[in-house]
Amino acid sequence: MQRKVKSIVGLTVVNVFFILLCFVTLVPILYALSVSLNANNSLLSVDFSFIPKAFTLANYKAVFVDEPIMLWLKNSFVLAVSTLLISLGTGIPAAYVFSRKTFPGRKPILRTLILLYAFPSLLSMTALYKLLSPMGLINTKLGLIIVYTGTEAVFALWNMKGYFDTIPYEIEEAAMIDGASPTQIVWRIVMPLAKPTIAVTAMMVLIYVWNEYIFAVNFMTGSDTYTLAAGLYSLQATEMSGNWPIFAAASIVVSIPILIVFFALQRNMTTGLTSGGVKG
Amino acid sequence: MKESKRQQILRCYAWAAPSLLLILMIVIFPILYTGYISLTNMNVYHWTNYTFIGLKNYADALLVFDNGFLKALGMTVVWTIVSMVLQLVVAFVLASLLNIKGLKLKNLYKTLLIFPWAMPGYVSILLWKTGMFNSQFGLLNQWMAKIGHGPVRWLNGDMSAFWCCTLVNLWLALPFMITIIDGALQSIDRSFYESAVLDGANWLERTFYITVPMIKPIIGPSVVITVFTTFKQFDVVYLLTQQVGAKTGADIHTIMTYAYENAFITNNYGYSSAVSIIIFVMLILFSVVINMKPKEVRD
Amino acid sequence: MKKRVISLLMAVSVMTGLTLSGCGNTSSAASDPSTIVIWHDKEDAVAEVLQEQLNTLNPDVQVVLEKKSDLTESLKMVGNDPNSAPDMYIFAHDKIGVYAEMGILSPITDIIPQEELDVYMDETIDAATYKGEIYQLPIYYETLLFMYNRLYMKDDEVPTTTEELYQYMQENTAGGHYGFVEQHSTPYYAAGWINGFGGQILDSDGNANLDSTEVIDALNYHKKFVELMPGETEYATVNTLFSSGMAHATIAGPWMIPTVKENGMDVGVAAMPTIDETGTPIAPYMGVQGVQVLRNAAEKKHDSVEKVLRVLMDPEVEVKLAAASGCAPANESCYDLDEIKNDEVVMMMKQTADHAVPMSNRPEMDVMWTVLGNLLTDVNMSDKDVTESVKSAQAQAESLIESMR
Repeated sequence: MQRKVKSIVGLTVVNVFFILLCFVTLVPILYALSVSLNANNSLLSVDFSFIPKAFTLANYKAVFVDEPIMLWLKNSFVLAVSTLLISLGTGIPAAYVFSRKTFPGRKPILRTLILLYAFPSLLSMTALYKLLSPMGLINTKLGLIIVYTGTEAVFALWNMKGYFDTIPYEIEEAAMIDGASPTQIVWRIVMPLAKPTIAVTAMMVLIYVWNEYIFAVNFMTGSDTYTLAAGLYSLQATEMSGNWPIFAAASIVVSIPILIVFFALQRNMTTGLTSGGVKG
Repeated sequence: MKESKRQQILRCYAWAAPSLLLILMIVIFPILYTGYISLTNMNVYHWTNYTFIGLKNYADALLVFDNGFLKALGMTVVWTIVSMVLQLVVAFVLASLLNIKGLKLKNLYKTLLIFPWAMPGYVSILLWKTGMFNSQFGLLNQWMAKIGHGPVRWLNGDMSAFWCCTLVNLWLALPFMITIIDGALQSIDRSFYESAVLDGANWLERTFYITVPMIKPIIGPSVVITVFTTFKQFDVVYLLTQQVGAKTGADIHTIMTYAYENAFITNNYGYSSAVSIIIFVMLILFSVVINMKPKEVRD
Repeated sequence: MKKRVISLLMAVSVMTGLTLSGCGNTSSAASDPSTIVIWHDKEDAVAEVLQEQLNTLNPDVQVVLEKKSDLTESLKMVGNDPNSAPDMYIFAHDKIGVYAEMGILSPITDIIPQEELDVYMDETIDAATYKGEIYQLPIYYETLLFMYNRLYMKDDEVPTTTEELYQYMQENTAGGHYGFVEQHSTPYYAAGWINGFGGQILDSDGNANLDSTEVIDALNYHKKFVELMPGETEYATVNTLFSSGMAHATIAGPWMIPTVKENGMDVGVAAMPTIDETGTPIAPYMGVQGVQVLRNAAEKKHDSVEKVLRVLMDPEVEVKLAAASGCAPANESCYDLDEIKNDEVVMMMKQTADHAVPMSNRPEMDVMWTVLGNLLTDVNMSDKDVTESVKSAQAQAESLIESMR
């Protein structure tokens, strides 16, 4: 009985802690939300309050009416889904062989891949431009998809390999004795067991594509080709022009689809990002 | 039999080829290209007609690497260590708390805690800079005023600016860390703990003898990647304190903001490329020195 | 098997994608000589006026105005690539040197005879000239202006000298209110003080000139003003202080005026105060906004480019821009028109332009913004010794300029 009381008290303390922590974490975002809902048009104000004194939805209306945000959403969606499919389509077989097979070059390649993260990529854009331009891939979605897929490929490979490592090999051996081909093993046995890591890799790719604006701004021209992040970037107020509250509203709007995916994937993510044993 | 072995190897490479090809194009090609440009005099005055000038850019770059550079390097190392320790400890504690049995709202808390992930970084940094730290209008100073304290210039002094940058970086990085540590914690077999409890191990002992060693290999690669990105961090420090026209008076530079102000703004691509390659090599050496390599789970 | 097929398909689709898009997908506008793409970074009001005027060329020439984020960086990357580069761009004159050296710009005089450019104010043509060639067709220019909020500062209280300004600041700065604010440590703004002392940030040969006595005097003198201003130099803080009525006066660009008027402020513009020490007014930088032609377009689309330029040379465009967004016409003849004469803001810019200094258009200027920014921060915000800071800034500038080459 005493133990139960103790645990209830403990849980209450933890719950209170998390409620406070979530609030503290969200303060900057609540700030943006409040700015976007405030009719008194300013990013900065002397007496800020989280609940706007003059409530308005005009900024959100402006985002949807004055800006082609649905078109940006469509562009982002197309890019995200294509990048996702190619990332997984190339990443899963690669992660599988790096996890399961031994072959010359395997270890050096794995080590080298992670060291590539040490490169300061501030100048990479020019190089990629020189690579993609002769192929006519500048100003095409395909060009961006290739850049995004390549950028996320190392993470996808390492992350899924790590998870595959934890799946007991015996299950596959059993299938092999039954005469299953390697492709069948991956498709029918490893993939279902690795659903969580696939979901999380997908998540990472999605976040990256959703938030990436530097390539999207520089490799694409014309506002009809903008992704959400690039569109948001173009709405950013400068000293000469722009409107902070609309920008704040747009930031909130852009983050909502990702949040929905976060929540939907939560169940998978808990066992997904790294290892997690085989509970399937 | 020998033939079949070779076939097997070929098949392994065939499976990995599409992924490796993409990495080759998008990640390795820029590095090679940067290496090549670093040996030329490509700059504003020789934009298309650049020629091969050997190692001159490297000589120039090393000459410019003076006290300011060493200071930035020292600061970058401190910054990386502080940030990583904070990230790992805080994320570990939070992930452990999230895994307490009976926490019903776990998924809601987690979604809210990883919200910072859902916005492009520059938007978040801007929100912090103008919304929180601004000395005239920022929320922090409005709160300070409420408790009767005068305005504080958060980003002005070196020390306070450093901690502000660390805080923002922590805020940006925690979602990723919490997620991977939380995932790693799930993979530990509960039976280990049960027997440890029977042996009379307390929470601290369990943490250090079971939890930490168990999750280490799993989170290894992600931690290595995070160390690299923290070391190369540019946005947080630059946008909070060093942006032209919005400098705050704090003299804090990471190796990247220093390289930016002392090389990249010259529009001299040959020279900037040499600086990039030098930083690349230094970072790899750094990782070798502290013997940082992801553990292979199955060798 | 299935998997292998899939990965094979992936690889094939990537490859075909590579080759296919190589043939067909490049922007068709690039090759069509009757389509002209113009990049710009201007506010909507300006872009609308320009687009409307350029539409008069339809269907002969179709002009696409594209607002481009990060325009200057993109241009460096795509400038030589006829498939991705624009045909022209509209931007301030200060990047001309960089692009001219890179070889992506065509002199305007290749298309429009030089005599026809005589209608423009001399300052604007000077600004557009780099190494003897004119690379920009001026449209309008802007300078910073002295602005005040009539609620606090009466017309007869407007300081005519900097000492009067200082006195006003001392009397009116307290409790979160400021007599005067400016972006004190932002190079573009602080340059007005340095120029007013006769200092030169970059000389006409591209040498840094930060360790001159003029610069040191200017920084020393300016510092006492900075002490009565907020600790932040960035525009959001400074402009909000003025527009929310917490600062009585400011030095800001003409783009501020529509915003504060919208907030209901009775805003006045006045001549820059005269610096007591030198007897010359604060002399801000002048930025000339105009159109530049890329070399590829000048070669391949000569006729269309000329038509576009001629539309933009029509003084009518400049008058409309003045009405739409307070842009000061570059064409001298506009100042004879009543619409312009009655425009207080434009006329004040014209008056300020007499002392204003066109920004340097040399490539070296790119690094000076950062160096000067650091210098101002050191002196104004970190309380470092002026003479020493100036010395180290000069050394940094010299080394950066050296490493540009």
